[in-house]
Amino acid sequence: MTSGKKTVNEKPLLEISGLKTVFPTDDGIVNAVNDVSFKIARGQTVGVVGESGCGKSITGLSLLQLVPSPGRIEAGDIQFYRNGEEDPLDIAQVSPKSELMRQIRGNEIAIIFQEPMTSLNPVYTVGNQIAEAIILHEQVDKKTARERAIEMIARVGIPAPTQRVDEYPHQLSGGMRQRVMIAMALCCSPTLLIADEPTTALDVTIQAQVLGLMQELQAEMGMAIMLITHDLGVIADLADEVVVMYAGRVVEKGTVDDIFYNPLHPYTQGLLKSIPTLGKTPQRILPSIPGTVPHPLTLPTGCSFQPRCSERMPECERMPELAEINGKTETDGHDVRCWLHTDF
Amino acid sequence: MKVQPHLTEPQGKIKKLLEVNDLRKYFPIQKGVFQRTIGYVKAVDGISFDVQRGETLGLVGESGCGKTTAGRCLLRLIPPTSGSFIFGEEEVDLAKLSHHEMRPYRRRIQMIFQDPHASLNPRMTVGDIVGEPMRVNQTEKGSALQDRIVELLESVGLRSQDMRRYPHAFSGGQRQRIGIARALALQPELIVADEPVSALDVSVQAQILNLLAELREKFHLSYIFIAHDLSVVEHISDRVAVMYLGKIVEISDAETLYQSPKHPYTEALISAVPLPDPSAQREREHIRLEGDVPDPSQPPTGCYFHPRCRYATDICKQETPELRQVASGVQVACHHSDTLELQGV
Repeated sequence: MTSGKKTVNEKPLLEISGLKTVFPTDDGIVNAVNDVSFKIARGQTVGVVGESGCGKSITGLSLLQLVPSPGRIEAGDIQFYRNGEEDPLDIAQVSPKSELMRQIRGNEIAIIFQEPMTSLNPVYTVGNQIAEAIILHEQVDKKTARERAIEMIARVGIPAPTQRVDEYPHQLSGGMRQRVMIAMALCCSPTLLIADEPTTALDVTIQAQVLGLMQELQAEMGMAIMLITHDLGVIADLADEVVVMYAGRVVEKGTVDDIFYNPLHPYTQGLLKSIPTLGKTPQRILPSIPGTVPHPLTLPTGCSFQPRCSERMPECERMPELAEINGKTETDGHDVRCWLHTDF
Repeated sequence: MKVQPHLTEPQGKIKKLLEVNDLRKYFPIQKGVFQRTIGYVKAVDGISFDVQRGETLGLVGESGCGKTTAGRCLLRLIPPTSGSFIFGEEEVDLAKLSHHEMRPYRRRIQMIFQDPHASLNPRMTVGDIVGEPMRVNQTEKGSALQDRIVELLESVGLRSQDMRRYPHAFSGGQRQRIGIARALALQPELIVADEPVSALDVSVQAQILNLLAELREKFHLSYIFIAHDLSVVEHISDRVAVMYLGKIVEISDAETLYQSPKHPYTEALISAVPLPDPSAQREREHIRLEGDVPDPSQPPTGCYFHPRCRYATDICKQETPELRQVASGVQVACHHSDTLELQGV
């Protein structure tokens, strides 16, 4: 797996800028996603990493206009370059219930969720559920759809596909179910696959199988992947580009090597230091980040990370912009939201 | 290299806290109107290990390998099918005690649970939760009880005024601290921690791991640390036992286990963990195990791991390998452990 394999000049597949998704609650408005901007190139894997509540999943759902009510996209745009079209489509402007959005969902942008048991319908066979997506998006009859479903089941490495196609989700193991989810997501050859914690519920050896499968299918079918996870190991394994989120905002983004070998934001640095790494001489005390993630309704003033930050300065009372590191051209594309690396 | 004072002492001085011999827990599979038993799920199928005083033993494996069942049997939360647990200087066999006789020993072995949201009663204040073990066992009362609660809360990094609040007012990491304070209330010697950090966020996980390490030194505790995350287990454990389908396949000190595993399953587990280091991850050889963990009610013949093992030969299909000593402190259950050259981290 190489990082930064895509050239910068070609048009991206998806360009998110200034995305803001809010949830009105009785106690105030929660800015779940706040001023989030990043690009996804064709065929590339972008990892979105952060702790629970940082807005990574809502970012993924926003791309499909699937934000659960009462949440809504309040600002920003999501420019999606569809196949064969010159001008991008702004998904943020498309109505969630429109015919156009239905055409995109599952067909051009597909999603797989964390918990494969709750995202599969227990009363339909897996074959039925895969065929449903095919029939919905392509003008084919049931028989062809079923054959395509069998083909997809075989492709994701499930043994005895002709038998498995007629089984129900409860007859499959966790790893098998996630394979079925992948088959369902990829049956219409999407250009973007959003994988929201795809392996979090799986055992480590099964996780390795599923991640390997995703890599193989990406090489074969060429789709881009937006990989949402809290696991930095999974990010290091799969991602080309990484977006680090904290309290709804992007705090740092760059290539996978930038983020892992030259992290600039104190949060990214803290996160990387605080995970026990296999085989590293174990230290008695892990360097941990003090405190906890702030409540979304009572975010601190200025930089959201400032109360937990070891490098806090007076400037941190104001929110820094996500910007290129000043005066360094060799770090092209490595952006950080921190006063340490921005001019006041 | 970790500091392991008890390992540098001469053999005779090592104080054994717990010795588990051939622990088994079979759950019957019942069917029909008369609940006839048609088979057994061998959740724990004859495991033996020991825990020294002041030591952390990691118990690692995938879901369904029996690690949690083993932990719960040790506390007699579920009755074991057979086996013995020799505990303490008295060398009492806990498995043979009646419910009543077990009582004085319960306070010496405590448990920390995985889910800090489910393991605390939402209707009790933190003070009541932490104080309950002491009230039930009548170790403290009145103002002494209050003082002890404050002392416990402070030792896990909470404030004394937190005792009047309810669990919902706390974050996941803080709730886990409450659970730890409750486990410490009766000054136990052994704590069974069942996935204590797996429900927590990365930055909070490190705080709790540090707290557990600190408390171990301060109160001279021993831990049985049950987890599926190999990196966390490596960090906290002195010795590690790897379980697969109800059996221990390998047990050795943490460093040896991760650097030079002796069982093919350990090797595959280590290889499957993605390292948070992109270039190391690109260069590593990835061993991808085929298939899933078999159904524990119908385990394979011979070595349970043979259908997924890339080194399996005919003998593996026929004979079940016994856990045997291959080096000082290293035990492994594999027919080929002498000839295999397995890769570690």
